[in-house]
Amino acid sequence: MQSENGFYGQYGGSYIPEILFASQQQILTAFEEAKQDESFLAELNKQWQQFSGRPTPLTFCANLTEHFGGAQIYLKREDLNHSGAHKMNNVIGQGLLVKHMGKKRVIAETGAGQHGIATALVAARLGLECTIYMGAKDIERQYPNVFWMKQLGAEVVPVTTGAQTLRDALDEALRDWSSSHEDSHYLIGTSCGCAPFPEMVAFFQSVIGNEVRQQSVAQFDQFPDRLYACVGGGSNACGLFLPFLDNKEVEMIGVEAGGKGLALGEHSIRLSHNLGQPGIAQGFATMFLQDNAGQLQETHSIAAGLDYVGVSPIIAHLAETGRIKMTYAMDDEVIAACTLLLKKEGIIPALESSHALAGAFKDAPNLPKDSKIVINLSGRGDKDIFNVAKAVQDETFPEFLNDYLASYPTRHLDNQEQN
Amino acid sequence: MSQLAEFTQQKLIRKPILAMTHVVYGYPSVTESLSWMRRLLEESVDFIEVQFPFSDPVADGPSIVAACHKALEQTLDVDTCLSQLGELARDFPESRIVLMSYLNPMYRFGLEKLAKRASEENIQGLILPDLPIEAASQYQQACQRHNIDPVWLVTPVTPTERLTMLASQASGFLYCVARSGVTGHSSHESKAKDASLDDYLALIKQHASAPIGVGFGLRKRSQIEQLIGKADIAILGSALLDAYNQGGQNAGIELIKELFH
Ligand SMILES: Cc1ncc(COP(=O)(O)O)c(C=O)c1O
Repeated sequence: MQSENGFYGQYGGSYIPEILFASQQQILTAFEEAKQDESFLAELNKQWQQFSGRPTPLTFCANLTEHFGGAQIYLKREDLNHSGAHKMNNVIGQGLLVKHMGKKRVIAETGAGQHGIATALVAARLGLECTIYMGAKDIERQYPNVFWMKQLGAEVVPVTTGAQTLRDALDEALRDWSSSHEDSHYLIGTSCGCAPFPEMVAFFQSVIGNEVRQQSVAQFDQFPDRLYACVGGGSNACGLFLPFLDNKEVEMIGVEAGGKGLALGEHSIRLSHNLGQPGIAQGFATMFLQDNAGQLQETHSIAAGLDYVGVSPIIAHLAETGRIKMTYAMDDEVIAACTLLLKKEGIIPALESSHALAGAFKDAPNLPKDSKIVINLSGRGDKDIFNVAKAVQDETFPEFLNDYLASYPTRHLDNQEQN
Repeated sequence: MSQLAEFTQQKLIRKPILAMTHVVYGYPSVTESLSWMRRLLEESVDFIEVQFPFSDPVADGPSIVAACHKALEQTLDVDTCLSQLGELARDFPESRIVLMSYLNPMYRFGLEKLAKRASEENIQGLILPDLPIEAASQYQQACQRHNIDPVWLVTPVTPTERLTMLASQASGFLYCVARSGVTGHSSHESKAKDASLDDYLALIKQHASAPIGVGFGLRKRSQIEQLIGKADIAILGSALLDAYNQGGQNAGIELIKELFH
């Protein structure tokens, strides 16, 4: 979606410290050039195909459709991307742009670690130095991802300020960029931040919706009647929705994280329930979860990738104008939706994506039998093994962890023996 | 001429360079921060830059970030802060107080109301590091209406054309960031080869009629000496906070005396 000088209605813009002005302008120019550059686009498509496995399938879910007895349910399989999530579409795009600009290092923030891993993968492949900022609390909660980032050669820096989660990691990435702007690119993981990041990330993610346009017509002779996507920062939602923006008959539903309840700090609902307020922070204007004094607040979701305090200015604008309908799903509904997909279709969804499932499952029974809905399965759920095991109260999991610990070589000597 | 610029000129008749000392409002508590400001004013610093805390201060390094987060453990109120600063401004007419914050808390308070209330309390300058001049027309108008100065920042990597634009629009003083990076010591020490500070300040001086303030990374007497004749105000931020954290008000005052004797 084209912005007006970086703005989408009242949202977006570029509110960054003066020190970053020149670098921001450089990205703006590089992106404008790249969008028109046939060879850049050809390389992008090639990497999407050959590195990430695109195009991803559009999968019909016969059992779920029968189960609900309403709309015909299709999944856009972003879980089948390399790294297991749509994040790859964006990091490949920005990674190529970094090479184009001649920078040598990338900086990224990560919450759950999905964007961190995707960035580390691409940095390794493109020969870029890579520094990932991650809240110290998130590092504790998501250590397996941290492990892989380090194995991939990235430096993972724990952020110990504030609540020590995604928002603080983003602040710290901006601080790094303020000092390293000459040789480093800030590779933001979602369609937020200062212009042109929201537009650029949405552009790279739009491959999702562009594929669905073709696949839907090929598989069922029409565009989908409804699209569903979870909304964290908003990048997978932008990716699926924006290519259908002008097809007025296509309805779009964004699903936010209702978490444990509607009290401040228990959820990440910025748009659907008048819980967020307009604000300007972290480089852009959008709806933020904040107190009356304009201090940003803590958020919660069972899905680490959805607990961001702000949201894409593009989504905020389209929600305000009514083009996108926003709703939310609670943690327990999300686990139920995840479990249902496992049992009915043999697909393991990420907890983020399970929000989109939960939102769609509420509507599906009430929709006409000949209607078609597409749910963006933004990622696979392998990464959520610890959270899901806890949520379904699996009895054997703690036993497994204990056994693993008991046999783990902790002493240096044991290590050497193993090698 | 703006009130701040005139004040600066008058003061410079008797001093080679003026001192602007930075204090985080509400750190470690509102009372203690006000007592620290009063002490600084009693020691006749020329300016105090008071930072109203924001949860996400992206242009600041670890010392100031930690102070802001500590301060935000209490509920802080912009209007109360301005009234309290106003009282100090009245008690110490030989010094000036400017208010620095990030955009969001001020935007929520209302930029028009901010300019009006600041002016009522004789807070003559406002610094909002994440509000670029391109997005600031309403703020600029509000400041003009209430006769206070919006302070703009320039940096060593600001493109020349933009630097001259900002310098020509500067009122009150122009805040020249001395180096890339965030305030204070941090893990993000810049490796970039910033142009020499002397050349940078000379270029600014060509284009700015407003006084020149220099900040970021100042912590040694030699750095202040280097600025004399090239800048009008030296801004002491994290170094002062670090001294305060280590040895309280007295250690802070000692640092100021050492730097500006
Ligand atoms: C699988 C998955 N889906 C969705 C998201 C949310 O991000 P966005 O709203 O930008 O798509 C994340 C973020 O980490 C994710 O990992």
